[in-house]
Amino acid sequence: MKLKKIKIVNFGQFSNLTFDLPSSRLNVFFGANEAGKSTVVAFVKQIMFGFYLRSNSSPFFEDYRPLAHVSPMGGSLFFEDTTGSNYELERLWAKGDKTKLGILTVKKDGQTVPQNLFFDQIKNIDGAFYADSFIFNQEMLNQVNSLNQADLLERIYYLGASDSNRLLDVRDDFAKDAGRLFKKTGKKPELNQLLKELKDKRANLADVELQFKKYEEFSSDLQNKGAQLKQKHAELVKLQKKQNKLATLQQELQSYKQLEVLENKKKPINFDSKNYQQAQMLIGQIQNLQKNISSLEQKIKHFSEISVGDADAKRVVQKKSELLQWQSEYKACMQRAEQIEDEEKQLLAITPDLQKVINLNPTQINDLRAEYQNLPKETASSKKANNNNLGKILLLTGGLLSVLGLILLFSSGAQGLIALIVGIIIFCAGFYKQKAEQKQRELFTKQINSDKERLLNFKKKYGLDPDNLDLTNLLNQLNQYRSKETAKNSNDKQMKEINSNMLGLARVIENLLNKSINHNFTDLLNAINEIESELDEKRQRAEQRENLKSNLIETKQNLKELELKLNTLLAQANVKTMDEYNDSYQMYLNQAKLDTQIDALKSSLEDHLDELQDLSKNPTTVKDREKQLDEKISSVEETVDDLQKRVAEVQVQMNDLSDSTAMFEAKQDLANTETQFENVSKDYLADLFTSKWVGRALDLASNERFPKMLKSAKEYLQLLTSGRYTDIQIDKKITVTRFDGKERAVKYLSRGTAEQLYFALKLAFVGQVRKQINLPILIDDSFVNFDDKRVGLIDQLLKKISKYNQVLIFTAQSSLVDKLQVKPLTFTKGNQNV
Amino acid sequence: MKFIHFADAHLDSPFRGLSFLPSKTFKQIYQAADESLTKIIDLALDEQVDLVLIAGDTFDNNKPSPRSQLFFAREIKRLTDAKIQVVMIFGNHDHMNLDDLLVTPSPYFKLLGASEKVESASFETKNGFSYVVNGFSYLNNHIVDDKLTAFPAKGDSYTFGLMHAQEKTTQASQNVYAPFDVNEMKDLDYDYFALGHIHLRQSLSKDPWIVYPGNIQGRHINEMGPKGCYLGQIDEQTGQTAITFKETGPIVWQEISVELNSSVTKTDLQTKILGNLSDINQTTYFSVHLVGAQYLDGDERELVQDKDFWQSISANLNFNSQLVDVRFESNNRLELDPNDQTSFEKAKSEVFSQPNFMKISKDWLRKDPLAEKLVSDPRFQNEVKELAEVKLSSRLKGINDETEEN
Repeated sequence: MKLKKIKIVNFGQFSNLTFDLPSSRLNVFFGANEAGKSTVVAFVKQIMFGFYLRSNSSPFFEDYRPLAHVSPMGGSLFFEDTTGSNYELERLWAKGDKTKLGILTVKKDGQTVPQNLFFDQIKNIDGAFYADSFIFNQEMLNQVNSLNQADLLERIYYLGASDSNRLLDVRDDFAKDAGRLFKKTGKKPELNQLLKELKDKRANLADVELQFKKYEEFSSDLQNKGAQLKQKHAELVKLQKKQNKLATLQQELQSYKQLEVLENKKKPINFDSKNYQQAQMLIGQIQNLQKNISSLEQKIKHFSEISVGDADAKRVVQKKSELLQWQSEYKACMQRAEQIEDEEKQLLAITPDLQKVINLNPTQINDLRAEYQNLPKETASSKKANNNNLGKILLLTGGLLSVLGLILLFSSGAQGLIALIVGIIIFCAGFYKQKAEQKQRELFTKQINSDKERLLNFKKKYGLDPDNLDLTNLLNQLNQYRSKETAKNSNDKQMKEINSNMLGLARVIENLLNKSINHNFTDLLNAINEIESELDEKRQRAEQRENLKSNLIETKQNLKELELKLNTLLAQANVKTMDEYNDSYQMYLNQAKLDTQIDALKSSLEDHLDELQDLSKNPTTVKDREKQLDEKISSVEETVDDLQKRVAEVQVQMNDLSDSTAMFEAKQDLANTETQFENVSKDYLADLFTSKWVGRALDLASNERFPKMLKSAKEYLQLLTSGRYTDIQIDKKITVTRFDGKERAVKYLSRGTAEQLYFALKLAFVGQVRKQINLPILIDDSFVNFDDKRVGLIDQLLKKISKYNQVLIFTAQSSLVDKLQVKPLTFTKGNQNV
Repeated sequence: MKFIHFADAHLDSPFRGLSFLPSKTFKQIYQAADESLTKIIDLALDEQVDLVLIAGDTFDNNKPSPRSQLFFAREIKRLTDAKIQVVMIFGNHDHMNLDDLLVTPSPYFKLLGASEKVESASFETKNGFSYVVNGFSYLNNHIVDDKLTAFPAKGDSYTFGLMHAQEKTTQASQNVYAPFDVNEMKDLDYDYFALGHIHLRQSLSKDPWIVYPGNIQGRHINEMGPKGCYLGQIDEQTGQTAITFKETGPIVWQEISVELNSSVTKTDLQTKILGNLSDINQTTYFSVHLVGAQYLDGDERELVQDKDFWQSISANLNFNSQLVDVRFESNNRLELDPNDQTSFEKAKSEVFSQPNFMKISKDWLRKDPLAEKLVSDPRFQNEVKELAEVKLSSRLKGINDETEEN
């Protein structure tokens, strides 16, 4: 389509302005700024695609307000197609019109025809498409940064497959759907979330997979804890025992304190209780002895008044036996005298020889007897038979008694003494008796001997026949006779003597008794007996006293000994008196009692004594120990509690683990997420691939215009930049490659280069679609930044483009106009609205 | 002699594609594999088998949960208490140390070939029938070596092979699970080669037996059909072996195609789908392929993809069965004008070509290993393609309708 004429009725600042375009290739509108160049560009676009009458401002060049007071607004465009047909597009908008786009009338060769007759020829593009593709102005140029493949493609594909605009939508929708499900660097899209979930759940599974390890750890932990617990329990029991012991100790401490008090009371005492007992006994004995002594002394006093005998009385008493002897002798003498006379008579009668010898003196007789005794004859020995042994018996008895007494004296004291004394007395009596008997015997013996001699003498001298003569007998007879004679004489003499003795004695007794006594034996005896009994009595008493005295002495001696012993004991006990000793004994008893108490306490405290001692010394340590124990116990209890808790926990955890479906759940959970991921991924990929698929199909259907366009664009850019930029990559963003191979994003390009890129791309596009859509290219003052060199390059390009597309250039640059060597159309003031 | 062969219990493993299900349903799901295992053990006890072979991947990973470990240990104890010999290997999922296995030690439990070394174990049944089991366990998740060469030659006794492995493929990247050649395996001439790893039940050979029992419970829509174990019966005289599949998995996955020939109302659509899902006799998880999806408009598509809609359908199913997946398939070409048709076909083949697929999806692809895994799966690519077709077709149908109306 070539634009032949522009007819403005009312639009912007213009009214009734018409431009006839001289060239079907390159037309130049030249005018200063604000001359209305942009208005004409907007007019061309809006007549084709509708007015832009929104109250809000449009984004770019259409930003103007139609004059409200001018009606109708609009005008016409006149085109000629390749077949030579002419189309007039008239669009008018009057106040009150329902549509704000204005009312379009299309005439072909002067005939009004359906709009699509025209629009089908330009593939029914819309205004935006036209503006984006065919209009080059400063504002569009500025948008080169945001230019992307999608926009370009959209235009390209538009011209490919049927319904390509919808397919593009389909493609974009799928791409959008895909984008909603997944973004390369996003967090919100479902797949991105699922990706994170996958990671989390894998981590979770990895954790859960440690279950078995944990289980084993728990198991060994449980064992350890169990052992610890046991140990702690044992420790606790020990501590509690200690505590109990301490409590016991504390209770015992009272006892121990008592013990201490008792022990303090205790004194070291050296007390010999045996000694004390002995002393006690001694005291008793001493007292007894003292009693004895005083009783003895009393007795002795009693005896001391009595005179201890008189010698005369004793002599008299001693004469008693003599007297008795005298008495008997006297009696005997008397009897004898009678007897002798009888016997003399008898003798003389019996023996007549007797008369012969009677007168012989004794010497003669002795001679006779001696003579006769030379003869073996035994006659006188028979006289010896009458031996008296009393003396001997007495002597023996007394001796025995004395020995016995002596023995008894050593064994039984007093009795022995008595026996001894009696024995001695008897012995003495025996002794006297023996002597007296011996005298008598000697006397007899002499008599016998004289008789014999007489007989013998008689025989020899007296002639007497010895054979006839029983000399012995004769002599005996004679002797007898003579002895009778002698005996008669001695008897008489004796009797006289006795009488004189008696007389003497009587006188003594009379003296003694101080009274006269009949001088006969009986009275004398009585008197002597009287004296004797008196004397006996005296002697008895004396003896008694002596006994007492010796007794006393002995007792006193004993007493002294006892006292000595006692004193020794006292000295040993280190006391002076028995009282002191008693006191000391009392003390000893007290100590013994203390000892007993102490022993009792000690035995009850037994093993704890040492500790109690320590405790008692340091009373604070008890509390300290108590506190320490309490602390320890509570600490151990805490540990035990803690351990028990832990054990329980571990057990619970183990039970949990052994029942745990966590592994399955974690896996299931992961599997579920994986499934979700798989499903959503499928969805995402289906969307993505559909989008790609559609895109690729469009590519193919559009005969791969895009790649071709890209190729052209590269050429153009190379041309425009004199080879400084050699390549263009169009992805989401466009990058260019410099001659040295460096890639650059558009935003980093210089303004000039960016404009050249923009130019190249758009022109390439328009070139690509020219067979489908051939509309005029409107270039509105776009080269404001193009320097002369660039303007030259653009000139080349435009000439190249304008071979296929009509180009309308709106410029204020005279240099460009000069360069293009085209007669410009100008905006005359007269044509502007009045 | 009787034996049971199972593999790939994958205890702890999740079900895929069920994220929308109410949490109570998951209880049933997570117990499903356990339940299946328990049924297998029950079967072993009921049948008084002599041997139970476990061909790897008992656990879903090498750090199994204590719960699963304890559960498994309890189940194994039931066997060993009954003096049933258990021979087990670790697979690429449960490659772990024997020490970490909580199974109570027993002469009746044998973990074969720890440290990835082929081990040979000889046993004798109660009746005095001797047999040998040769196999190895994984210690790492990949084994690139062909382990068959390490298997000993068959002796006089009945011989089992026990291996968790995958057949050799041309793609080297896939030959990481003890790749083997079936013919070489046949050459070993073991009486029964008990395999694990492939979840699809199949016998690679019947003479001699080379058997994948499949997994014991399907876990997603690609593991369809009955799941369980094989019960083997050996004729001790002839050494002949007969095997019977025993279904133990409580939940079955099933794919159903529903064809649309024209536009339908939402109610019709629901009725139509429901009608295709009613013929079941156990808990079944359905994937519905809507063929002719281009007849659905955007709203309808949205509806049938809505999980609430699935739940409303599931509510009408027996055995707590679920509709868990709806896929669209377009059964006709894009309705475009002939010129464009060419462009679109050409563009499609270009865009969905392998290199372009990677290129186009690269931003997404690089975000996560799962994306990489998905994109390398032809099935996934195909699904994307199909969905794209459905989407575009549906969209263009709208355009055409609009155009027609105009």
